[in-house]
Amino acid sequence: MDKKILVIIPCYNEEDNIVNTVENLRAVCPEVDYLVVNDCSTDRSAEILKEHHYPFLDLPVNLGIGGNVQCGYLYAVHHGYDVAVQMDGDGQHDPAYLMEIVQPVLNGECDMCIGSRFIKKEGFQTSFMRRVGIRWLSGMIYLLCGKRVLDVTSGFRATNAGMTAFFSRHYAADYPEPEAILAASLAGYHVGEAPVIMRERQGGVSSIHSFKSAYYMIKVTLALIIDRLSIRKEKGGCA
Amino acid sequence: MTAHLQLFMILGAVVLLLIIFALLKRGLMSVKYSLLWLLLAVGLVIAAAFPYVVYVLRDLLDIEMPVNLVFLLMFCFVLVVLLSLSIAISQLADKCKRLTQANAILEKRVRDLEDTLKK
Repeated sequence: MDKKILVIIPCYNEEDNIVNTVENLRAVCPEVDYLVVNDCSTDRSAEILKEHHYPFLDLPVNLGIGGNVQCGYLYAVHHGYDVAVQMDGDGQHDPAYLMEIVQPVLNGECDMCIGSRFIKKEGFQTSFMRRVGIRWLSGMIYLLCGKRVLDVTSGFRATNAGMTAFFSRHYAADYPEPEAILAASLAGYHVGEAPVIMRERQGGVSSIHSFKSAYYMIKVTLALIIDRLSIRKEKGGCA
Repeated sequence: MTAHLQLFMILGAVVLLLIIFALLKRGLMSVKYSLLWLLLAVGLVIAAAFPYVVYVLRDLLDIEMPVNLVFLLMFCFVLVVLLSLSIAISQLADKCKRLTQANAILEKRVRDLEDTLKK
């Protein structure tokens, strides 16, 4: 392996899962580097990371998933990684499929490759209401930039060096996944998808609770529309 | 507008000016953010000293009581201040995020350096 690959694992209160996730990754993909980004967890995550001597960043204040992953991207840029992969710390994403999403990026087929559970429709498919929400966001993104992405909320994604640098400069704050797809497409980057099988989260709590989902949908929809309106000026438009 | 109200507005403007200058002197407010408030004080003095301005505006907007116009203008002004604060907070949050990220990356470098020194 001559290409440098960094797996970024955002971690917020994942004391139950983080060791499994990292050990699993090390066993399945021993040749890739990884970095856990601890988002000021209130549980024992930081101590666990220290005890196991995992490479990790320790954010002094809580930034939320957007600022957390962006910090990982920034680190990848500083250290000249060819590919950065975002992988959740809760065990939803199986490292066995890591190369499935890295390979299209290495081959130059796309700048960002998203691991999608809806292409082959295998494995954990999430609840019906969530699929409705994901379809809505997917439709919004298609409407706003003409790019069809099925699994817009998937946080399992690989980016090449250019895309990583772009995200290290611009990345949405709280619910960044759908917005990142639109921002990347509008800036002229090519976004692709590869089929993966996801598992149900093995512990901890998802960042999107049921009572928050309405807020989530409204916020992301609005943010997508605003992105569409603002990026054209910034970049000269290349949708 | 009654003479009472005029007096009260001028008094208010003077108190506001005194507060702003006191804050500026103690370094509790930066000049950048004081400008909006100084503008309010100046506006109050103008409205109090030349009620004619208020009457003309009242006729233009067809408001019965001149004092209501003063309230309306003050409310609009407060809205502008709140908006400017929202903008300032958003910018601060972004800077804070950047600092946090830079700090975390530096902290890892220091930790790695310490580990290599220990060996």
